[in-house]
Amino acid sequence: MSKLLEIKNLHASIGGKEILKGVNLVINEGEVHAIMGPNGAGKSTLSAVLTGNPAYEVTAGEVYLKGQNLLEMEPEIRARAGVFLSFQYPVEIPGVSMTNFMRAALNAKREYEGKEPLSPREFLALMREKKKMLELPDKLNNRSVNEGFSGGEKKKNEIFQMAMLEPCLSILDETDSGLDIDALRIVAEGVNRLKTPQNASIVITHYQRLLDYIVPDFVHVLADGKIVKTGDKSLALELEEKGYEGLNL
Amino acid sequence: MSEITIHSGETFERVFLNESVNLHIVQEAGSVLKIHVLNFAFATNNIIVEQAGEGCQTEIYALAFLHGDESVTTETHVTHAVGGGTSNQLLKFVLDDNSHGRFVGDLKIVQDAQKTEAHQTNRNLLLSDAAEMRTQPQLEIYADDVKATHGASTGQLDESALFYMQQRGIDKQKARQLLVAAFMKDVLATISDENLKEQLLNSIDGEVE
Repeated sequence: MSKLLEIKNLHASIGGKEILKGVNLVINEGEVHAIMGPNGAGKSTLSAVLTGNPAYEVTAGEVYLKGQNLLEMEPEIRARAGVFLSFQYPVEIPGVSMTNFMRAALNAKREYEGKEPLSPREFLALMREKKKMLELPDKLNNRSVNEGFSGGEKKKNEIFQMAMLEPCLSILDETDSGLDIDALRIVAEGVNRLKTPQNASIVITHYQRLLDYIVPDFVHVLADGKIVKTGDKSLALELEEKGYEGLNL
Repeated sequence: MSEITIHSGETFERVFLNESVNLHIVQEAGSVLKIHVLNFAFATNNIIVEQAGEGCQTEIYALAFLHGDESVTTETHVTHAVGGGTSNQLLKFVLDDNSHGRFVGDLKIVQDAQKTEAHQTNRNLLLSDAAEMRTQPQLEIYADDVKATHGASTGQLDESALFYMQQRGIDKQKARQLLVAAFMKDVLATISDENLKEQLLNSIDGEVE
């Protein structure tokens, strides 16, 4: 198994306030890592920093994606290199159709990989195929990106984009928040179908519930900006039962 | 200033592209006015409309997309002198670099012009810190049984939308282009001539690049 992502002593702050205080993590191809932790522990900051959100400042540490220095890359280059974030709050973009948006994204990635852009016909066929795989409605194409989508539709749309872009590292930030149990199942099944021996996922969640569907190889507890405990999936159950305070961290 | 009278029951419809528009239009009963004023360079527009007969329909759409030192001033003076008419105005400015935009929107509903419906919307997008927009809506409403709304806002590109697109691999330039085109689209979408509309929508996609 080869190393996909390596995070070394990562420190990051927002508005001068330090949130991440030395995160270390190695993710290999084929692995699913869950990151759990109380509110304010830095879970979303970690996903923001990995994707290059300009609101955050990295103050120390290194991150490598397949040996490449991730922190030196622009956000769009990280994305083309295969880092995908399923946003906790997907952004509505009125006036930009899903088709135009997705085509710009996919062709940017293909160009980065030295591939020809897809023709409109090939592109639409791929959209259909992926929607079918995820059992999504066909009406998506002509709607503006996320505009007027319900909470569940937004999360499904994130997974759809993930299916289109085939990232090597997917970060699912609180994908379960605001989902009813049926939507949760559809989203989780989508994620499971996209799993290959070559890609990996980071599943950020508050609750064990999502991990019934997306079974992690490792569970990490992030508290006060550091990973304080790592275990297998039983750690998530233990957390659910005893709470973060019960872990005697 | 061109003086135009739209006779009873007639329609005057026109798209003005890259020119300064100076019009004084008198609408007779039941007439329809629909104009688009599209400026991609310097222009000074002054549009005076008087609804002189009952049940007139007035639609004014304006779009300015400016770069460098370009400036556009658009004034609209719409008077509902007789009731039962509608007026709808949508004006958008997209200002990059050091460009300047100015909108004066004077909307008057006289006391006898009951059952009038009038809407005026001005939305502006500033793409640089040096760009400047001045907006002066002036509403004078003397009739009591009317429906009138107006709104003006000036903002910048949505940073969270830009980041969202970048996170999908779209570079910042292309992301800006998509957002700017999206902002301008609804003005062009109201053009009746399908060929011209299509042509303008395509050219605007290119314009942003």
